[in-house]
Amino acid sequence: MRRARKRRRTAAVVVVVTAAVSLLGGCGIQETDVIEAGGPASFQAFLNRDYDILLFFRSPDGGLSPVIFTTGSSDGFGADYVESGSAGQEPGDTAGAVPTEKVVAALLSGPREEDLAAGLDTSLPPAPRGGTIEVEILPGRVTTRLPLALEDLDSTALRQLTCTIAYSQAADGQVLVELTGRDGATSTGTCGLALGSAVNTPTQTESGPRPTPSGHQ
Amino acid sequence: MSTGPRRRRIRAFGLRTRLLLAFLLVAAVSAGTTAALTYREARNALLETAQDTAVSSFRDQVQQTAFGLPLRNGPGLEEVLRDVARKGKPHPWVVFAEYGSLRASSGENPVSSVITPELRRAARANPHGSFERVVKDGVPYLTIAMPMVFKPSPDSLLPSGLVLYAVMPMTEEQINVDALLMAARDGALPGLAIALIPGLIAARSVLRPVRELRQAAHSMGSGQLDTRIRVRGSDELADLAGTFNESAGQLECSIKELREAGERARRFASDVSHELRTPLAGMLAVTEVLDEDADRLDADTARAVRLVSAETGKLAVLVEDLMEISRFDARAAELNTDEVDVAEAIRQTMQSRHWTDDRFRGELPDGIRARLDPRRFDLVIANLIGNALRHGAAPVAVRLRTAACPAGPPVLIIEVMDSGPGIRPETLPHIFDRFYKADAARTRSAGSGLGLAITLENVKLHGGTIHAGNVPEGGAVFTVEIPLHAEGAAG
Repeated sequence: MRRARKRRRTAAVVVVVTAAVSLLGGCGIQETDVIEAGGPASFQAFLNRDYDILLFFRSPDGGLSPVIFTTGSSDGFGADYVESGSAGQEPGDTAGAVPTEKVVAALLSGPREEDLAAGLDTSLPPAPRGGTIEVEILPGRVTTRLPLALEDLDSTALRQLTCTIAYSQAADGQVLVELTGRDGATSTGTCGLALGSAVNTPTQTESGPRPTPSGHQ
Repeated sequence: MSTGPRRRRIRAFGLRTRLLLAFLLVAAVSAGTTAALTYREARNALLETAQDTAVSSFRDQVQQTAFGLPLRNGPGLEEVLRDVARKGKPHPWVVFAEYGSLRASSGENPVSSVITPELRRAARANPHGSFERVVKDGVPYLTIAMPMVFKPSPDSLLPSGLVLYAVMPMTEEQINVDALLMAARDGALPGLAIALIPGLIAARSVLRPVRELRQAAHSMGSGQLDTRIRVRGSDELADLAGTFNESAGQLECSIKELREAGERARRFASDVSHELRTPLAGMLAVTEVLDEDADRLDADTARAVRLVSAETGKLAVLVEDLMEISRFDARAAELNTDEVDVAEAIRQTMQSRHWTDDRFRGELPDGIRARLDPRRFDLVIANLIGNALRHGAAPVAVRLRTAACPAGPPVLIIEVMDSGPGIRPETLPHIFDRFYKADAARTRSAGSGLGLAITLENVKLHGGTIHAGNVPEGGAVFTVEIPLHAEGAAG
């Protein structure tokens, strides 16, 4: 009886002390976890769609970083790749002013000095000279024939191509891109970098079946 | 009486201490809880305000800034970052930019040592502004990560790969939080001190009735049966006081009845002995005359007359003793003291009864003087010696001495020893009882059966005590101790 009472008293003391410690503990300013606070901040990029295009390069952490490429007056850079007779070159209301062939040619020519200075790089191989780039535009869909063997490209390289083509065709990048390589392999996908849709997954590009060189596509 | 309050005050876990502790505990818990909760809420509000201000103002600032893509490192970029940092709210920040492998800041070092990998990962993994509080070297910092996006078209956003970080030391907030803590503590401690006052009052209100009850019980115990407690209020202690008063009333009632019954019995005994005395006196006169003329009667008649005469004499002694003892019972016995030489008084007692032969030995040192009632003292000594002669055997020794008593005045000690077989152990506890016969077979003893009872009453009247016992060699010893203070008071 007495021992039980003593034990009960001890328990009460423990409870009081615990409560006091938990109430008084955490004096001062404590560390916190990472706490989310609102969306990202949008800044003004000097992007003029009349003569600026977006190229997507690989950043050191493996993601894609858009850079602005100004074509401006014809500086001849990448002009060699422009195929004047390519089909589907219609300056529509959604596409930028710069033809997609020229954009792809600029991407294939690799990062510039300022891009390299910021640590950006490309996963694409250097483009062979004289290769042709053909672009065919359908509603909501762009088919591009590339002077490359798609088989050898990794997913980052495919996403670089897909995003660059998508953003050159549509200002919001919401367009299905179908790539066909010199080897006949195809890859179809959307860019998916934009916020507000099903985003954030790094591999949005869906690779199609790689047919044999004698494939019908 | 004087040790009572001191002991109560010293008592470690007395009622007062427990009540005070309970009050203090309740006050401590409530004051502590209130202070701690208030402090916590105030601190969190303060920190949240600072954080929200910092995050939203950081977002506003960087949204008004323009960057080219790719970002070019150099004095231009640093100037832009410094511009953002200067406008920091609520305090200036240090702004860091991370883009690709490019690192720049508005401060000295391009890379912050405060920003944690978790924050970096969170900023890279999902395009949300986020912040983290970090304590480094005792200084709290707020670190904000802001992934930067831009609009390739009016209604879509594209991550740019640029993440801006702001690092803000929260020293001012820390000062404010410390001030809050001090305020909470300074509020709670006086609260505790103030809680002592109602605690003391409550303890007093409980302890006062308890103390009164204790005193009342004490005075009841010492014979003041009319003691009553004042009933205050209507709480449990008042109930207790009421019950006490009721019980005291009933106790007083029944004791009064008992006393009255005792009184009636005593008066009856006294009346009976008075009524017996007058006819006995007549009878005594007649039997004395008959006794004197017994020689002229025939033998049988003479024996009968002598028997009647002896029994009448015994009856007269018994009646005298009864009257004496009923005077004691009625507390009517008075002490008529006189200063006497005790040894002289004892000698006179023995001489007047012709106990002077060699059956008696006295150790009676002269010079011991005491205030005694000579008549009663004579009765005591005569009774003890007579008793020793009747029930014990000669020689009888009477010893007188004084002894220092550890508590109180010195005492006068008179011992009467006989040389008989002693008192049987089963008889010892009853030896002073009235009409107690030590020898059950001898129902008719020479005495009245009241002698030792009267002796006891006489010694008690002197403020003394009497003990009966046996000496190791055999023989009974009666020890009378009477305090000598009367002598001190007289001389």
